[in-house]
Amino acid sequence: MKIALLLTALLLSASAKAEDSEARIKSLEDRLNKLEGAPAKTSQSAFNPAMGATIDSAFSHTNGRSNFNFRAAEISIEAQIDPFLKGWIVLTGAQSGAEVEEAALQTTVLPYNLTVTGGRLFASFGRLAHFHDHELPVIDRPRSLDTFVDGETQADGVEVSYLFPTPFYLTVTGGVFNKLGGENARASNDAARSMDNFTYLARLAAYTDLGDDHSLELGLSEAWTPKRFVEDTSVAGTDFNLDGAPDTPNTSAGIQTRKNTWRSLAGVDFTYRWQPASGGLYKGLVWGTEVMQNNEMRFDPATNLPRDRVRAFAGFSYIQFKFGQRWRPGVMADLTEDLDSARTLTRTFTGFITYNVTEFQRLRLTFARATDNRPEGLGSSTVGLQWTGVIGHHVHGFRDR
Amino acid sequence: MRKLAFAAALLLALQSSAAAKLRVVATVPELADITRRIGGDHVTVDGLAKGTEDIHQIVMKPSFVSKLNRADAIVLIGLSVEHAFLPGLLDVARNPAMRPDPDTLNCAGPGCIDCSAGIRVLNKPQSLSRAQGDLHAQGNPHYNIGPDSGPRIARNIEAGLARLDPAHAADYEKNLKTYLAELEPKLAEWRKWVAPLKGLKAVSYHNDMAYLGDFTGLEFIDTVELKPGIPPTPTHLASLVKRMKELKVAIIVREQQFDMKLPSWLADQTGAKVAVVATMANALPGTDTFVKFSEANLRSLLKAAGKEPQ
Repeated sequence: MKIALLLTALLLSASAKAEDSEARIKSLEDRLNKLEGAPAKTSQSAFNPAMGATIDSAFSHTNGRSNFNFRAAEISIEAQIDPFLKGWIVLTGAQSGAEVEEAALQTTVLPYNLTVTGGRLFASFGRLAHFHDHELPVIDRPRSLDTFVDGETQADGVEVSYLFPTPFYLTVTGGVFNKLGGENARASNDAARSMDNFTYLARLAAYTDLGDDHSLELGLSEAWTPKRFVEDTSVAGTDFNLDGAPDTPNTSAGIQTRKNTWRSLAGVDFTYRWQPASGGLYKGLVWGTEVMQNNEMRFDPATNLPRDRVRAFAGFSYIQFKFGQRWRPGVMADLTEDLDSARTLTRTFTGFITYNVTEFQRLRLTFARATDNRPEGLGSSTVGLQWTGVIGHHVHGFRDR
Repeated sequence: MRKLAFAAALLLALQSSAAAKLRVVATVPELADITRRIGGDHVTVDGLAKGTEDIHQIVMKPSFVSKLNRADAIVLIGLSVEHAFLPGLLDVARNPAMRPDPDTLNCAGPGCIDCSAGIRVLNKPQSLSRAQGDLHAQGNPHYNIGPDSGPRIARNIEAGLARLDPAHAADYEKNLKTYLAELEPKLAEWRKWVAPLKGLKAVSYHNDMAYLGDFTGLEFIDTVELKPGIPPTPTHLASLVKRMKELKVAIIVREQQFDMKLPSWLADQTGAKVAVVATMANALPGTDTFVKFSEANLRSLLKAAGKEPQ
């Protein structure tokens, strides 16, 4: 009797357990069905772009005068537009105002290893020239780039690049732009122009590994403007429209006069990296060098006739070390000839040390000494302290590595 | 002349044979190893990481771009662990079969073989804020360090290769069975090995030991880093020493890529033993395969705990 009761109890218990298990399985199945049937994202903002922002501020002290400098608040927006195209926008607000720094469209699936980028973009001239200010290894853009490129290589136009299908990295890029240089005031983005007033860009970039830990990159760039205008304030003449047509004559010296000329800006960039695969968290080195030649025709103020070309050279070389996970000290030397008077040379030597508090926050201290070879040149010494933070979306880009 | 024609024909035959092979790039050495085992003669496999790096800071070399440009498939860990290099490389590799996925920072396209599919992801964050460090939004991505992830990784690679090259699907399936027939007895053996580790307390340098802890039964109570990706502060280290003493932490895991200085100091302060663990195959000498890498890690933990494999 006891055995029968025990067996019945066991059977009832087993049956209850089975029912319990079935109920749990059913509940899990229901939940799974809901998950599988749900869209990947349900929010109305599901297709909104990825956003990030960078805040860049600095304190500088030059020849006894100091300033807190709000350098920039930069908002970047990026997304795939459709299966064939992606786009990004970089909006920058600085003390000088707000501007669209980049607003570009780029193809993602063109055949034959081609990529087309158009809109307002940072053209592929040199290496550091197309870095945003806060991504540079120093606080202030090297004087050579600021003088020869006029800020970042911001350009309105279109660029086509081709990656050679070779075992080694080789790319060629061609572009056509209104002008090169975000702060280049010698040409306007607004006026229509003839084809020979555009700036045409060509760049060849190659890379080779030197074993596992060392690498070398070499780039050649040329920005050619067949016809451009030089502002001459020393002689009388005729003003020209941006399309080259004569405008209002001016007859008094000191009034702005525009004259046709051409411009070639050529550059060579070289980057050596030591990035050991073993221990690379704590040590490494980047040595970057860029040399540019600006070649233009100038007009003789006395005769009003074209005179010899003005060739000016500029360039910089820097070494940045990696000491430990956080410290990045380095030195940079920059030599810049004046674009109009190549005999005037400015030398800038900069020592810098960067402390990466985290991947998203950085402190940097620099000391820069600039002198020129003019008899009246005084020189300047600048101490700068930069504080940079990144908010939100943050992708490690290949071009700015 | 006849010899020349023969040589040309041979060259063409060799080229067409090479061209017929699926060109696969694997982000880390253990995935390259398993892909070679599953793919056999039908694939050529190139790796990106060497194994000794920190996976969060692998350098984007332009030579990787050339590899990815010509690849038919990329085998990746996924869960955004390759965020430092893979999205940037895919963005410029001009390979329509593999594009960076801006939502997940992984890979999107038919050429992507994401080995995280079906992995039971641990440490999924409840909320996302940089105040918690360099978090991975999809959860802890370091499942490749868990030995029992091997079969799932192998199955995902087999499924990916079969999808891209259905003509050889039967061979991939056969190779998978052969591989699993080697790996599963190893897993059973390793489970016996690690039995003495169950319940022991440990700390690791980075928060990447969740899956190894899950397999071994080790309880990882904290990290040397303040937060994921954030180097330790003196205050954190002082509090960590106190906590380790209170909880009687037995093992400090020093991932191979991190400096020995801090783990040694912690060991001196607390009496815990340091185990050097690889986060990728090939990080330590003689660990170029998934099996050797997993086994070396377990031996290192056992040694630190004063145990022998049984």
